[in-house]
Amino acid sequence: MGASWLDPHRRNRSVSDVSPLEAEVAKLIVRTLTLKVDPAQIQPEEPLFGDGLGLDSIDALELSLAISQSYGHQIRSDDPDIVATFASLRSLCRSIEKHRTK
Amino acid sequence: MNRAALLGLYHADRVLAWENGYSITYGRFLSDVEALADLLPEKPTVINLTDDRYRFLVGFAAALVRGQTTLLPPSRAPGALAQVAREYSNSYCLVDGTEHVEPLPSYQIPKSTGGQNDTGKVPQIPIDHPAIVAFTSGSTGNPQPHFKTWGSLVAVARSTGARLGLMSSDQMTVVATVPHQHMYGLETSIMLPIQHGMAFHVGRPLFPEDVRLALTDVPSPRMLITTPLHIRACVTTRLRLPPVECILSATAPLPRSLAKEAETLFQTRVYEVYGFTEAGSLATRRTVDENTWHVLDGITLHQESAGCSLHAPYLREPVLFPDLVSLQGPHRFMLHGRGTDLVNIGGHRSSLNDLSQKLNEIEGVQDGVFFLPDEKGTAVTRLIAFVVAPDKASEHILSALRTVIDPVFLPRPLHLVPHLPRNETGKLTREALLGLLQNLHNEERHGT
Repeated sequence: MGASWLDPHRRNRSVSDVSPLEAEVAKLIVRTLTLKVDPAQIQPEEPLFGDGLGLDSIDALELSLAISQSYGHQIRSDDPDIVATFASLRSLCRSIEKHRTK
Repeated sequence: MNRAALLGLYHADRVLAWENGYSITYGRFLSDVEALADLLPEKPTVINLTDDRYRFLVGFAAALVRGQTTLLPPSRAPGALAQVAREYSNSYCLVDGTEHVEPLPSYQIPKSTGGQNDTGKVPQIPIDHPAIVAFTSGSTGNPQPHFKTWGSLVAVARSTGARLGLMSSDQMTVVATVPHQHMYGLETSIMLPIQHGMAFHVGRPLFPEDVRLALTDVPSPRMLITTPLHIRACVTTRLRLPPVECILSATAPLPRSLAKEAETLFQTRVYEVYGFTEAGSLATRRTVDENTWHVLDGITLHQESAGCSLHAPYLREPVLFPDLVSLQGPHRFMLHGRGTDLVNIGGHRSSLNDLSQKLNEIEGVQDGVFFLPDEKGTAVTRLIAFVVAPDKASEHILSALRTVIDPVFLPRPLHLVPHLPRNETGKLTREALLGLLQNLHNEERHGT
């Protein structure tokens, strides 16, 4: 069982190679979902949903709203890449990069 | 014995379900039900976990035909399913995926038989047959079962349809974002359609774009059955929906301003439905112009010393409201708020006592409590937990909680504290918990 990045105990980890968009979306996630975690501590490759205090479908809905408002990307479940999209911060940002209109 | 028909009206060629633009008729539905009923094992109770709304209905109807009762577990959390499986050990599961509840046998609901029932023989179900068991989380920690007779489900569906002015000649198609395994979803997206010759979309759209696609997939007139959360999402994204005749909302109060925006943006009527597990749906209001709730036909309200109660021909005894209400005559009431122990997050209901009890059962937890902070704006307010567990990491407690409660109730965040602010009688007041929360926030701000 891998720990989720939402765990407040996973601090003091050095984070490198985070793109500007990833840093921006990390802040958006923390703000939208009122998480108790420093956006800079979100590991770009770690799962968003799942183990520990993973996100759920309400979060997915809230997050999709924030993303559509900030980037104009409408997320939908019948997108064949939906599972991959929400897999990690990095994959989410790749999807935003591909579909953004603002 | 008194019976009520499985279907409110029957035309073999009429469409019941839409799946990716393909239609399934009422005739084919009856033949699917007949075929499945022959295959079901000889057991009294069934847990129907199918995600596809049509297959769920086929399973539910086949169980009714066989005189079986469908159990609606309070959540999909493995622990909750296991508990129902223990209490009803002579059950089986109906699935359309890979889900499995140990140690119960699982049966796949086959794809439609593709046959056509030409006899037009609609099954007649005894009205006092216990069609479903819904569960509420009691304060004791064990889910409390509530038996719903077939007659009560039919009565609620008919009176809801009458209130909404549903005409069988003008066939509506339902798109629902709510799960059919919950009371609200079962009543509005399964019972309402089959008692009024309506159709439904088999899916369960989540994101606004999903809702738009599902509505586009079905013919007009359309009805959207959903929650304030989804309505807000659709309004915020300024979604361009195809024409929607009406929107039903339940599970949480819908702010009037949001109802107004939705009515204007989607050129529709927005109704709220109010109900709770013990009584089912019981009242509606057109949110933009009504403050009070109007009970469904046949229901009367009474003021009793213990609170307000409601009476209906299909309820064996009067039921007390779990929420704070005041009566405006025998048929209308005002809702003043949820009972203090009840929480409802995204349509999932539980009680703080029950959640706290589950928390305290976790190994290594010395003391712990769940707490709902004051609601802020229209965003979903999540629960907080304070836990005394000197030797455990919050990660350990969270993963243990995850196996016994629905994920929407997982605390956000979970605060590990040295002790809880219990008063001299051992009680935890809301004020004390708010104070504790404030202290934690202050400490964070000062970086200690």
